[in-house]
Amino acid sequence: MKLIERLGKEWLFFDGGTGTILQERGLAAGELPETWNLTHPEEIVALHGGYLQAGCDIINTNTFGANALKYPDQLQAVVEAAVAHAKAARRQSGREDAYIALDIGPTGRLLQPLGDLPFEQAVELFGEVVRIGAAAGADLVLIETMSDSYELKAAVLAAKENCDLPVLATVIFDEKGKLLTGGTVDSTVALLEGLRVDALGVNCGLGPEQMLPIIQRLTEVSSLPVIVNPNAGLPRSENGRTVFDIDADSFADWMARIAEMGVQVLGGCCGTTPAHIRQMIARCRQKPFLPPVPKERSVVSSFSQTVEIGGRPIIIGERINPTGKSKFKAALRENNIEYILSEGMMQEDSGADVLDVNVGLPEIDEPQMMAQVVTRLQSVIALPLQIDTSNTAAMERGMRLYNGKPMINSVSGKRESMEAVFPLVRKYGGVVVGLTLDENGIPDTAEERVRIAEKIYRTAAAYGIDKKDVVIDALAMTISSDSRSAQVTLETLRRIRDELGGHTILGVSNISFGLPQREIINAHFFTMAMQNGLSCAIINPNAEGMMRAYRAFLALTGQDAQCSGYIAAYGSQNTPAAPLPADAVMPLGESIERGLRERAEQAARERLHSTPPLELVNTELIPALDRVGKGFEQGTVFLPQLLMSAEAAKAAFEVVKDAMRGVPQQQKGKMILATVKGDIHDIGKNIVKVLLENYGYQVLDLGKDVPPEVIVETALREDVPLVGLSALMTTTVVSMEQTIRLLREKKPDTKVVVGGAVLTQEYADSIGADCYARDAMATVHYADEIFA
Amino acid sequence: MIAFDRGEALRYLGYKAGQQPDEAVEERLLRCVSEMQNAVQPKSVFRAFPLAQPAEGTLELAGVTVCSKNLSRNLKGCGSIYLMAATLGIGVDRLIARASAVRMSDAVLYQAIAAAMIETYCDTVNDALRQEAARAGLYCRPRFSPGYGDFRLEHQRDLCRLLDTPRKIGLTVTESCLLAPVKSVTAVIGLSSEPQPCHRKGCEECGKTDCAYRR
Repeated sequence: MKLIERLGKEWLFFDGGTGTILQERGLAAGELPETWNLTHPEEIVALHGGYLQAGCDIINTNTFGANALKYPDQLQAVVEAAVAHAKAARRQSGREDAYIALDIGPTGRLLQPLGDLPFEQAVELFGEVVRIGAAAGADLVLIETMSDSYELKAAVLAAKENCDLPVLATVIFDEKGKLLTGGTVDSTVALLEGLRVDALGVNCGLGPEQMLPIIQRLTEVSSLPVIVNPNAGLPRSENGRTVFDIDADSFADWMARIAEMGVQVLGGCCGTTPAHIRQMIARCRQKPFLPPVPKERSVVSSFSQTVEIGGRPIIIGERINPTGKSKFKAALRENNIEYILSEGMMQEDSGADVLDVNVGLPEIDEPQMMAQVVTRLQSVIALPLQIDTSNTAAMERGMRLYNGKPMINSVSGKRESMEAVFPLVRKYGGVVVGLTLDENGIPDTAEERVRIAEKIYRTAAAYGIDKKDVVIDALAMTISSDSRSAQVTLETLRRIRDELGGHTILGVSNISFGLPQREIINAHFFTMAMQNGLSCAIINPNAEGMMRAYRAFLALTGQDAQCSGYIAAYGSQNTPAAPLPADAVMPLGESIERGLRERAEQAARERLHSTPPLELVNTELIPALDRVGKGFEQGTVFLPQLLMSAEAAKAAFEVVKDAMRGVPQQQKGKMILATVKGDIHDIGKNIVKVLLENYGYQVLDLGKDVPPEVIVETALREDVPLVGLSALMTTTVVSMEQTIRLLREKKPDTKVVVGGAVLTQEYADSIGADCYARDAMATVHYADEIFA
Repeated sequence: MIAFDRGEALRYLGYKAGQQPDEAVEERLLRCVSEMQNAVQPKSVFRAFPLAQPAEGTLELAGVTVCSKNLSRNLKGCGSIYLMAATLGIGVDRLIARASAVRMSDAVLYQAIAAAMIETYCDTVNDALRQEAARAGLYCRPRFSPGYGDFRLEHQRDLCRLLDTPRKIGLTVTESCLLAPVKSVTAVIGLSSEPQPCHRKGCEECGKTDCAYRR
């Protein structure tokens, strides 16, 4: 019988430890266990044989660390031998009923952007193993001991894209129930259910006792069969050897208790032996088998957080969107990702639960921009994202690279739209927004909108997408052109909730398009919509009126226990503070020197009443910056102050720029900054960037780990006279040297300034740089020389 | 919570002994320390290995040959070693990346605080090792990391492999031998039956006399 026909319907048992047993048989520390597939085949066959005789149903091939990074030349031989040994053991033990799991562990590398392994390369590394293992005859793929949700996603995608076998995945939690990269049980289940694995669970790290709370939560949230493969207790060091503290008897005791918790697959990990497994099976088989229960939860997730739709209404921040925002458009055109990140962080601080991400602009490569923005946002912000685009390629890039289960905005009732979007939701997982419009346009009655919602649910179901993973957009249309439109929207919300039992979403502020003082209408409509069942609101969380309406609604509907959220937001606020008297304004120069951003802004605004913008810049802003810069060079001002001053100056410059809108602005010159290939430390480069921008330079920031070719291409394309390169370690100065060499060859007139912890004047000379900058100010001076 | 040496953090920021940050910096420093305390997830792993020194400047440990005069001098008279690895976790990288996008002044404060924290954390791990060694009648040498003097950075790979750091503590090595998460340390600690009078720390032992962060 096929595994998939038994999984979740009867007890199934995995084998136990591999590495710990091989170590007892002589595997040395640091020796790669998979090499034994080639050098000690009889030991591997015996290992599997022991577990099969103990009665387990699934044995794991000795391929945990087998990937092309560790076995660049022998991967195929290692994996094929591993599967062959498992088959031999199965034959010799007369256990042809047992299944062979192609075992896949982590790569041992950290993915970009926090590490240096690109996501797609991780997918390919896993894919290679899956292809070899599936061709060799494995019955299933077991992805295990994953401690990073992103790498886990890469492995699951690789398995799904390279074979048709069942895919099971287990992760390693610490005693606090966290993955090493911050994920929780909830976020892991959301991700894996979205990716449609066949079973999920936990292995390694802890013993059965310490796993209890984790298992408890797994069974509460997972709709899939749950796997539990613990260690034989906790490890301790005994005469330099790692030993585990639970014997076969007590392991079986604990596992019998776990068997009552609603799990479906049991086995062991480090330190467990055939004796552990044999006793575990004997005890657990007697327990009544409880199949998994579907949990009707609508959940989206990030690498570490989940947001559940259907409880209190969810706030989706709408600010990452270029529509009607000239600064945002400029940021997209200039590849200024920091601007987009800061928009995200501001909304997070304002109370958003999810961030909508829309980066569509006709003149940019949207799939590429979506990939870049999603990757950067999810490395610094823990809120789940909503991928918002009508470009299917951009949608797929965003969903594929997303570290979690995203929201997707949107699909409509049009056949073409559903045919494009549903396959993506099926493959990558997600909660998709279904617009109640179709080939005939937007219906002007609630009845017709509900009919379209039904069609969307029905079609989604045909793709295997549950109703819980669709939220219906009842469509807010402005009341300025049709005075009934709000009523239609509200009725639609109500009927979707009451008649279809579905979740809903609205882009709330559309309701007031064309009207003055839109926030008045928006806030009141928002309250009415929530009262009529709205589950998700796409709004600007920085708009105080909207958040007031939201917090008041929660407090009034018993969704804010003890009104604690309301009190936390408004308890300490008295009447609005009176504006500071004019003499309380700190002079602009002093605000900058002391690094006080808000004061500098305020001072600049004040001074602009009486002083022309350019005069303010030349007589106060620049001289203050110069004083701070000199102080830094003389050792009386320190790096944090230098940067705080720079940030205060930047804020003041922004105020001045706003005052000069329409007047063409001059930039002193354009230069490139980059942290070289192989180097992922970019603090130094970022410090230099802040200062250069302060002094009026346009900086093309290419980021970190930048290949020489990219730097040179950009220098050619943008005709840049100066390139600044940063490298932290001796190992990466090599790429700095390569970059300089390539630059000399292709664009000899461009100058190069270098900096970084290990660099010296001598070292800089030896790799052919034009200038060695010992600190950020030195780079500014050199730029002043070049662009003079 | 993890203790750290405030003076050390200030030193990374360029303050000399006795110099104190002004009020505005002090306020941000305190805020950043508290954010950093929430972000760190310190983890460590260690293991003892036998050591052979077939020739001056050549060391053999667990199948790895290391050529380093500096390390050889550090380990003179040692028959075994501890390898150790420690990390503050990936939360620190996220916090620094986040600050880098909006407020670089916070990023440099975070960076200095975390650098001081990993030092203190390594000292704590080191103390535990010293006690364990003492029970076996052995004395620890000062810890010595790849990248110090002529102990090549490439050996990060060997140390992380021997200690299985990716799986055990989430510590990985990039293609160019940098550690990720960024605030992490690997080190060799010599074990000998002879006490060594002077417990010199990293900087003095390091051959890079022109390093910007040298004490």
